[in-house]
Amino acid sequence: MTAAAPLLEFHDVTVAYGRRPVLWNVDLTIDEPCLFGVIGPNGAGKSTLLKAALGLVPLMDGTVSFLGRPLAAVRSQVGYVPQRETVDWDFPVSVMDVVLMGTYARLGWFRRPGVRERTLARECLDRVGLADVADRQIGKLSGGQQQRVFLARALAQEARIYLLDEPLAGVDARTQERIFAVLAGLRAEGRLVVVVHHDLRTAAEWFDRVALVDMRLVAAGPTAAVLTPDNLQATYAGRAELLDELSRAVAERSRTP
Amino acid sequence: MSVGLPAYNTLVVVGGVAAVGLAAGIVGSLALLRKRPLVADAAAHCTLAGAALAVLVTGRRDLPALLTGALAAALAGLAALVLLRRFTRTRDDAATALVIGVGFGVGLALESGMTARGVAGAAGLENFLLGHAAALTARDAGLVAAVSAAVVAVVALGLKEATLVAFDPDFAAASGWPVALVDQAVVVLVAVMAVAGLPAAGAVLVTALVIIPPVAARQWTDRVAPLVIVSGAIGLVAAVAGVAASAVAPRVADRLGLAPPRGLATGPLVVLAATAILAVSVVVGRLRRRRGADHG
Repeated sequence: MTAAAPLLEFHDVTVAYGRRPVLWNVDLTIDEPCLFGVIGPNGAGKSTLLKAALGLVPLMDGTVSFLGRPLAAVRSQVGYVPQRETVDWDFPVSVMDVVLMGTYARLGWFRRPGVRERTLARECLDRVGLADVADRQIGKLSGGQQQRVFLARALAQEARIYLLDEPLAGVDARTQERIFAVLAGLRAEGRLVVVVHHDLRTAAEWFDRVALVDMRLVAAGPTAAVLTPDNLQATYAGRAELLDELSRAVAERSRTP
Repeated sequence: MSVGLPAYNTLVVVGGVAAVGLAAGIVGSLALLRKRPLVADAAAHCTLAGAALAVLVTGRRDLPALLTGALAAALAGLAALVLLRRFTRTRDDAATALVIGVGFGVGLALESGMTARGVAGAAGLENFLLGHAAALTARDAGLVAAVSAAVVAVVALGLKEATLVAFDPDFAAASGWPVALVDQAVVVLVAVMAVAGLPAAGAVLVTALVIIPPVAARQWTDRVAPLVIVSGAIGLVAAVAGVAASAVAPRVADRLGLAPPRGLATGPLVVLAATAILAVSVVVGRLRRRRGADHG
């Protein structure tokens, strides 16, 4: 056996909602810390892949392991950013309150966040550039700021492996750059960052490795090797409205090596 | 009758009702945050059947027996709610309506049947319909106050967990929190308060004591801890005001030379008091938001 277990490993993962299959036989191993993109069309099961890894949807078949162990054994090493639309932003909490939630798992039952947690939360807010809105109610933020609040909460989890579900959906280009700078910082610290993402052009630009998903794993590996015209055709086949975007993405990628 | 110092008994009853109002408002804020306020309604409407069965089965008609039966029925109703959703593909709102209707129907049938047959203790059940705080003894008031205090203590202990699960259940589950367990704990607390609130507000209206205070409190604050505290305070004031009004009304009528209403139900008056506070809160909330918008 090798000394270091893979950071994240999907083995034969199959997921169904009721009788409708969403993911079939996904085998995917990520050995090294990197920025890893999960790419695919709408309804391809990208988010489901993350939720299956986190135990939020039941596996019909297969296993997922983190650092060579089941999630329950290494949960404190795994951070999560859900899709922004999954929560009610009118909820009566401040930005600081939400970021502190990232420290709750470490605190355990009934213990309240103290000075250490508040200091950490402030640092995390600083990293995403939101220190000045810490006391604001979360509904009073822009979409991009809300997305960064979720990112700061994940940072407060101090995890080794991060799973992010569409952290760049519906945010402007400047916020995208900011978020990616933070994610690149995590990679530089030796953490694995797995990002569900839908925009092929930025995917080609930003991720070290990608997986193309369309209910099954089409291809996975270094970005340049995976985002080939053939693979993209196989992933997006029958989705004519995307052909334009595809050709543009591929053309752009070949211009910038 | 001259106005002197209120009797010890009156003070204890007011204290008990105040504790119930406080705890109902506090637990209600959790139900509202989790977006499940109707759970209180489903639980409350099942209580009458449970109290009636307690009388029939045990032959006792003291408050502890009645409330124990009511709580058992409330929890049974909530279990039915879960089973309906899981096994019959009934949507949440339809399942809730079903439990409310069936639970209350059974309770009314038992109560009227027992009254018609002259079962001892059936008259006491009537007090559970719309609430009749004046019927409380000091000992009963102490019981509901103790239950309320225990509920408040549990909420104070687990507010962090309840808030996390209510705000983002997926994140909570992904970081290892037992979301279903926390949800069930909140539901049980709501059921307990629906039962403890019966003597003051009655099965039909106790929901209002759980739901109106947090809705009103939300107008005053954007943070969870203040919301919970303000909601509890509003519940306390509404409950005490309602009970006081029902106690004073007969004397006022007497003085005005009108026929004094007998056995005035407290539930409707508690709801009216809570609604008045809600109306003020909505106005304040609008002003507060407008001012917030001006300041950017």
